[in-house]
Amino acid sequence: MSKTSNINRVDGFAKVTGSATYSAEYKTDGVVYACLVGSTIAKGRIKTIDTKKAEWAPGVLAVISHLNVDKPSGYEKAKDPHNFGQPLQVFKDDTVLYYDQPIAMVIADTFERMQYAATLIKAEYIKEEHITDLQKAKVKEKKVETDKGDDYHRGVPDNYKNAAVVLEEEYTIPTEVHNPMELANIIAKWEGNKPTVFTKTQGVEGTRKSIGGVFGIPPEDVSVNSEYLGGAFGMGLHTWPYEIAALIGAKKLNRPVKLVLHREQMFTNVGFRPYTIQKMGLGATKEGKLTGLTHEAVAMTSSYEDFMEGTVNMSRFIYNCDNVSTRYRIVKLDTCTPIWMRGPGEATGSFALESAMDELAHKLDMDPIEFRKLNYAEKDLEQNKPWSSKYLLDCYEGGMERIGWKNRKNKPGSVKEGEWLVGYGMGTGTFGCYRSPTSVKAKFLADGNLVLQCSVNDMGPGTATMMTAIGAEITGLPSENVIIQMGRSGLAKGPTQGGSATTSSVGSAVHDSCNLLVSKVLGLAGATSTFKGTPITDLTFANGVISSAKDASKTVSLASLISSNKPEDFEVENTSKGNEEMKKYSIYSFSVHFVKVLVNPNLGKIRLAHVVSCADIGTVINQKTSAGQMYGGAVGGIGMGLMEALEIDHRFGRPINNNFADYHVPVNADIEKQEVFFVNKKDPISNPMGTKGLGETALVGMAPAIANAVFNATGKRVRDLPITLDKILEPSVANA
Amino acid sequence: MAAKKSTRNKLTEDESNASRRDFLKKSGLFTALALAPPSLVMASEKKWDEKIAEYLETVPLSLEVNGVKQNLNVEPRTTLLDLLREQLHLTGTKKGCDHGQCGACTVHVNGTRILSCLTLASMQQNAQVTTIEGLSKGKKLHPMQEAFIKNDGFQCGYCTPGQIMSGIACIKEGHANSREEIREYMSGNICRCGAYHNIVDAITEVKEGGMLS
Amino acid sequence: MKNFQIIKALSSGSAVSSIAKENSAMFIAGGTNLVDLMKKNVVAPDKLVDITALDLKKIEFLTAKTSIGALAKNSQVAEDKAIIEKHPLLAMALAAGASQQIRHMATVGGNMLQRTRCSYFYNTDMPCNKRVPKSGCGAIGGSNRMHAIFGASDSCIAVHPSDMCVALAALDATVLVEGPKGKREIKFTEFHRLPGNTPEKDNTLQNKELITSVEIPNNNFTKNVHYLKVRDRSSYAFALISVAAALDIQNNTINDVRLAMGGVAHKPWRLTEAEEFLKGKTISETIFRQAADLAMKGARGYGDNDFKLTLGPNAIVEALTIASSK
Repeated sequence: MSKTSNINRVDGFAKVTGSATYSAEYKTDGVVYACLVGSTIAKGRIKTIDTKKAEWAPGVLAVISHLNVDKPSGYEKAKDPHNFGQPLQVFKDDTVLYYDQPIAMVIADTFERMQYAATLIKAEYIKEEHITDLQKAKVKEKKVETDKGDDYHRGVPDNYKNAAVVLEEEYTIPTEVHNPMELANIIAKWEGNKPTVFTKTQGVEGTRKSIGGVFGIPPEDVSVNSEYLGGAFGMGLHTWPYEIAALIGAKKLNRPVKLVLHREQMFTNVGFRPYTIQKMGLGATKEGKLTGLTHEAVAMTSSYEDFMEGTVNMSRFIYNCDNVSTRYRIVKLDTCTPIWMRGPGEATGSFALESAMDELAHKLDMDPIEFRKLNYAEKDLEQNKPWSSKYLLDCYEGGMERIGWKNRKNKPGSVKEGEWLVGYGMGTGTFGCYRSPTSVKAKFLADGNLVLQCSVNDMGPGTATMMTAIGAEITGLPSENVIIQMGRSGLAKGPTQGGSATTSSVGSAVHDSCNLLVSKVLGLAGATSTFKGTPITDLTFANGVISSAKDASKTVSLASLISSNKPEDFEVENTSKGNEEMKKYSIYSFSVHFVKVLVNPNLGKIRLAHVVSCADIGTVINQKTSAGQMYGGAVGGIGMGLMEALEIDHRFGRPINNNFADYHVPVNADIEKQEVFFVNKKDPISNPMGTKGLGETALVGMAPAIANAVFNATGKRVRDLPITLDKILEPSVANA
Repeated sequence: MAAKKSTRNKLTEDESNASRRDFLKKSGLFTALALAPPSLVMASEKKWDEKIAEYLETVPLSLEVNGVKQNLNVEPRTTLLDLLREQLHLTGTKKGCDHGQCGACTVHVNGTRILSCLTLASMQQNAQVTTIEGLSKGKKLHPMQEAFIKNDGFQCGYCTPGQIMSGIACIKEGHANSREEIREYMSGNICRCGAYHNIVDAITEVKEGGMLS
Repeated sequence: MKNFQIIKALSSGSAVSSIAKENSAMFIAGGTNLVDLMKKNVVAPDKLVDITALDLKKIEFLTAKTSIGALAKNSQVAEDKAIIEKHPLLAMALAAGASQQIRHMATVGGNMLQRTRCSYFYNTDMPCNKRVPKSGCGAIGGSNRMHAIFGASDSCIAVHPSDMCVALAALDATVLVEGPKGKREIKFTEFHRLPGNTPEKDNTLQNKELITSVEIPNNNFTKNVHYLKVRDRSSYAFALISVAAALDIQNNTINDVRLAMGGVAHKPWRLTEAEEFLKGKTISETIFRQAADLAMKGARGYGDNDFKLTLGPNAIVEALTIASSK
């Protein structure tokens, strides 16, 4: 693509001026303020709950708990099989299933009065013994009761054990929390039996279904608005109890209710990346050919829903190995249910796999990239299909050159810069290219502007900008003439944003709808007297003008065409689904993160002196926003690698660092030098644009790249994330 | 499980009054009542409650926000952030943590960048407050806003107003002399999308272009 | 947050008298810690006395000392050219704390009075002897990565979170206070206290005294100084351990030295024994290491923070090495 390949974000003006309106910011007449009061135990029952003081506090309009809630009719319905369990039904009864589970909601006329009244609610509990420690509870592991939970074997099970060179290690990642900057928030209101919400969701249509289900109404009766999201990273993939609570409150009071979670509640009530223990078994010949690979994961879930993710999946296909076994188990703990967090399971899995590959390369005394190249998979052995495209080798080359890989020595601790130990490391990432049926309406306005409508929303990657670029390319209009309407129900139905599928799904729909619209326009133009006798195939459309390729003097403007036809002649709503050809191929994006670390072993200080993130994501629609997404994925991976961990005091079953001062995410000073490299070669199969998806793979592989670089610098192998300073600290010896 | 329903309606009026008076005594209103004329005290005891409480529990506040004089009554406990967002509907200033741990609420008070979530509005008498909404003049953007768009210094946009307010201050304070210094002095503004590289680019461009006097 | 009355004090005398008789009244200046604690319902005053109008913001350089008003902002002190010249250790420590926005708000007096960051103190549904005497200490046997290795008690292992105070303790500062009974001076090293059986008391202020200024005697620590802060990310995080090191070196011999640590005790932890050992010695990594080992005598870990027993001496050596090589 050409002139649109580097356009600025089309919502940039709104975002830099503060005029972009996020969910709870919609000015709503008569809105009142709600908050949730959480349980202070992790498991048990509510014995008493004293809400009187809160009810009497100035400004309080309602206090709702299980004692007085009008239960939504859907609470009585059967379990939802898609959730592998039953989502927490807020205020349903006196049961407490996790720490900080909402036990009451206070609604008052002002924010301050609501906040204060919430402090007046006191509950007594009948405590039961809770389990929040996966390390202690892992013996209770079980399979997930779906076919996705089945064990996988190719060739000889656990064949790694029979190899000449064997590596067997355990890797752990702690619970990590999405923590988008915008707090989870909602404004809920009802008109009769029809609710309207302004809420933080990644899927407008999905939220309609969830809310409809809970309240026993058709999804079409639920209006969802979510035009701007202040990030989500996966936490918006679920409709959470806070959203249902706000709707319950709004219905009771018959007034709009605004509910914004506290940052503390973002750690306890809206999901997280689950604590996962992984066992890796790798076997190779002395020459470095992989002969067996086993990947086992034990991950936490809640007591009421079975959550699983693709932690072990990458191990089945990323390397050329005939004997692969993977197993995935879950353990029920007394917490909120996890939810996919950026990169999701693949990020967790790649930490184990790519650390183990580095360890095995070290055992073999091989360069880690040479080792990977030796085991390069020319086809997908899991699905037994060819790759639609795979430029992973280009990623290796591009990264090696930029990071200065030639300066790396296989022997740890052998490179120094001043007092700093220098280490180089890399980690491979991948993520499937998914595409879901998506409708986009494309129409020309009388002024010649193109409007693209889709209910998909944009949590940050630049969906509107991508739609603009594709729409402008196909219609030949300047990007300034493309108007995007999105992020709310009532528009052509778009997908949930997640799984790196938005560009593939929505972009394809924009592509198809715009092509149909252009055909329609050319058809109408062909019928005009100007083009009498000119075959439609000779007509071209650019900058709002239809002209004949053979006779440049003949032109018809779009504006004149519109004025002489009906407006609906310039509208197309089309659903794009993909084709059979896609099923013949294995379609994946690939990424490789390279890092150069500087380590001061006396203080355990790790500096990321240079980070190079390379990706094969097919066609790059917009270099600027894609680079931004890749930088950001790398930063997310840096958080995962170096600092993020939800710490639980298992005596109380509660997190101890559930705030932004104690749960560390990277700050500006942590990011010294970052580069991004895209192969930018079109995938011939994935979709009309040839894109493969970026959001997830942008993070996958970063954490092991850091762990591998730290090992290269210090000789210390950290297998439990995050790599905090205490794990690499060296007692220094007096030079006496 | 012996808990029973306890709604306000089920209480007798006497019970309600007694409890409410008890509550009021413990609240800040008690202090205010001590200072109030006797007639108001009487009024309160006759439970003209919430409107009076609202009046008694607020203090007058005059301040200038983005050049516009505001004469308000605020509760002493209202933060500048909540005043801006919930009462003045200036929602460009964001609430990310509400505890001084993220920088999303950064505004300028009397020319200095501060965190509005930890600032009591009642202590800002006569202050001049500038928020993100006060930077642009219609379609004409501030150079830092332009630079953020050009350098793609954001994704979701939620930390962006705070980053921009902070970035302008960073240059004005003289802390934008190198990328390293910018990184340190911008570390009070968390960006979970991870746009730090581009944020530093944007600030560097404005600084080097001499676009801020 | 409970609502409260707020009044503005126009003199230090009226500020003191306006809270003296009220149990639940507190001073407020920058508010960066107090407002946070009020939001968490850790403290819930009925009345706040706004002292920001008091004339206590000046930094003055007197014949034998530097006087810093209690209401001087952290950034104002950190960026004062004369402070950077005369007391660079203090400027470095201040610049290492919090973020620039918070430094613009926080005052010197408020910085001294900030409460511990211990999670059990901050969360009102957890046991904490500092917040609720005799409710127990959650951190002992719990999550204690940030916690004390020196001077803790069975009641409390919290640490004082300030960076500034570590430098002021090292520089032998004095705290000037004014209370209902008049004015008095407190040695900075005696301002904060160890928890003992009364961890609810952070410091030795009595009966709602108001801090009016901090004074630093003139010194020769203008060149070979370093404030080393070790934390879990590169900025905007509290210290796991910090070291304030100030050396007065002539011909490679240590004339005078000051050493203090942060993040290790309920108060800024002055390393007097190590200081005495270093005086008169020729600078070398060996004597730095010996001094560090002396400084660590009596240190103990509580589980999560055991790494501080290794990190502590390393950080002391590192700070001394950097300071001496300037």
